[in-house]
Amino acid sequence: MADVVFDKVNKVYDNGFHAVQDLDLDIKDGEFLVLVGPSGCGKSTALRMVAGLEDVTSGEMKIGGRTVNEVSSKDRDIAMVFQSYALYPHMTVAENIGYGLRIRKMPKDEIDRRVREAAAKLDLTEYLDRRPKQLSGGQRQRVAMGRAIVRSPQVFLMDEPLSNLDAKLRGQMRSEIAQIQHDLGVTTIYVTHDQVEAMTMGDRIALMKRGVLQQVAEPQEMYENPANIFVAGFIGSPPMNMALCRLDREGDSLVVELGSQRLRLAPGVLGEQPGLERYIGRDIVIGIRSEDMEDAALTKDAEHAITADVALVEALGSQIMVHFSLDARAPKDEDSQLLAAEQGDKETAALHSDEVRWVAAFEPRSRVRVGQQITVTVDTERMHFFDPETSAAIRD
Amino acid sequence: MSSGMPTPATGAAGAADGRALGDGPGLLDTPKQPVQLGSAQGSWFSQVGWRHIVALLAVAFSLFPIIFVISAAFNPQGTLSSTTLIPTGASTENFTGLLERTAFKHWFINSVVIAAVAGALSMFLSALAAYAFSRYRFKGRRPGLMFLLLVQMFPQFLAMVTIYIMFTRITELYPSLGFNTWWGLIILYMGGALGVNTWLMKGFFDTIPKDLDESAKVDGATHTQVFFGIILPLVTPILAVVGLLSFIGTINEFLIANIFLTEGNSKTLAVGLFGLVAGERNNNFGIFAAGTLLTAIPTVALFFALQKYIVGGLTAGAVKG
Ligand SMILES: Nc1ncnc2c1ncn2[C@@H]1O[C@H](COP(=O)(O)OP(=O)(O)O)[C@@H](O)[C@H]1O
Ligand SMILES: [Mg+2]
Repeated sequence: MADVVFDKVNKVYDNGFHAVQDLDLDIKDGEFLVLVGPSGCGKSTALRMVAGLEDVTSGEMKIGGRTVNEVSSKDRDIAMVFQSYALYPHMTVAENIGYGLRIRKMPKDEIDRRVREAAAKLDLTEYLDRRPKQLSGGQRQRVAMGRAIVRSPQVFLMDEPLSNLDAKLRGQMRSEIAQIQHDLGVTTIYVTHDQVEAMTMGDRIALMKRGVLQQVAEPQEMYENPANIFVAGFIGSPPMNMALCRLDREGDSLVVELGSQRLRLAPGVLGEQPGLERYIGRDIVIGIRSEDMEDAALTKDAEHAITADVALVEALGSQIMVHFSLDARAPKDEDSQLLAAEQGDKETAALHSDEVRWVAAFEPRSRVRVGQQITVTVDTERMHFFDPETSAAIRD
Repeated sequence: MSSGMPTPATGAAGAADGRALGDGPGLLDTPKQPVQLGSAQGSWFSQVGWRHIVALLAVAFSLFPIIFVISAAFNPQGTLSSTTLIPTGASTENFTGLLERTAFKHWFINSVVIAAVAGALSMFLSALAAYAFSRYRFKGRRPGLMFLLLVQMFPQFLAMVTIYIMFTRITELYPSLGFNTWWGLIILYMGGALGVNTWLMKGFFDTIPKDLDESAKVDGATHTQVFFGIILPLVTPILAVVGLLSFIGTINEFLIANIFLTEGNSKTLAVGLFGLVAGERNNNFGIFAAGTLLTAIPTVALFFALQKYIVGGLTAGAVKG
């Protein structure tokens, strides 16, 4: 077991593409770190540099305190699970799992014992004599896991190991992998583009965008205090609702101009975030999570509220997701545009700049109908504020 | 073409309607409707039937020389002029003559050893080269590949004069690698086929996912271990194909061998057998035919031995669900 440190690590590919830029990341011994970000942001590149499958262009890569820039993969004592599983087709399950041990010339009976132990842990015992092509996708995934855990390496590296499984299996393997990692206590770097996996599996999340690390934090911390618009929009489902508004002072409280409406913020907001003072009379990006909005008919609070026409209602049982449009402006910064492209066919992409689509999570007692005009209470104390140019969160 | 199978059984002499009767399903599909039967039969011939005729002609065309050689090999008179397609008698006189009056046993052993060693070595060397070309990115990779291809475009005998002069010298200095030796010829053959084989193999190597190499490396394997333990077992189909092709190419090679091997006992089958009919085509023809029949044995045997490896799809299931 060991810690893994990226120290100003850069990767420039032969074609000149700068895939990872000045990555500083300190992964503690035994930690489960999830590296998340949209496809093409350099997650795999970063992981492959830890594995020694890509050269580090500049900076220092350390495993267990040892600089490994010039150390070959086989001498790094790591195990990797590939997205494709990369099982050896000509070997049985047992031979696949035991391959790393055989290469290291471990005695036969010791290999056999370890393989059986790993197989038992992954419910693979009855398949030990099969070839990979005689297994289902989920079983292949387990064999790939088995090959990693049997070696008791210093670090586990996993590159989107669940993305080839169907949704149900994925949910099941998610908790299983987290459990195994917890039991073994091996430092793990887990790459995924799925924010659900990031939220549910990791001790900490590192979020990347276009080769640049955006934020490193525990899942709940990242959800509650995103460092910028990109993190705010990427983490959480449905994504955080956002709009570009003008911030004004009215008496001793703040007001945002949300299109044709004015939303009064709770008096404590300015005290909590004195940085907002600088934005008074200027544009600002506000963000609010779905669960921080509620049907005003239930809260009886019309003071901090907006009105809208319901466009769509999705009953989830424990919640009712209510979609509505506001005539406010959509944020135009780079992060917001990237998010819109990322969420693709979802409503964000269809945005006109003078209309935003929001989603609120109401309590199931709410009786809203499509087409109805509703009043939505906004918990303005839980509202997020971002700079419209730099997209950075406005705190303190 | 499965419907073509019963056709020869009904007799090659059978005309188009004979084949139509053999084509059971066509009749059963349209029973009780004689009007349609006529038209169905006409369209059957224009759609399927003519193919059978073409196929039969092609089969006859390719079988004719084989039957003729078999007939000649067992022809008791043993001359070309007395050989007919349908044998008039049968004896093994040509075979005993071949084994007793010529150095056939030496030729046979020479040929098999040279072809086997040259085939195996060239298979191994081109596998090494193909691995490098497929997996590594190095300076001169593309030019190297292009050069291999380009060199293949010149016929080998263009280099004959050079090779002859080189080997005259080598024979003086190292007689064991020179003219009339196994090794001299093996070295020549190995180089000759390397380019094509490397290209063939590289194409196949490229289909093995790179993830497998990388996974093995992370598991602790060296390049050598990856090559022998992971890659080679997965490319057996192309190894078998290349091995077989080199073997056939080598055992049939005549031009170079004819210049290289001049002493009676050092000759290969191609050279030795040619010598039998070079002077007097007519008289030794029976023996010659017997020799060619025996020559086919190692090739056919190797083909059957390798057949089970020449199946692709071994890599299926390597990646993804
Ligand atoms: N060998 C390579 N040469 C050039 N560019 C590459 C290479 N591999 C990946 N890239 C580029 O680097 C970027 C990051 O790739 P990758 O790390 O695989 O992204 P992710 O795993 O986050 O989806 C992508 O834009 C990709 O096109
Ligand atoms: Mg990737």
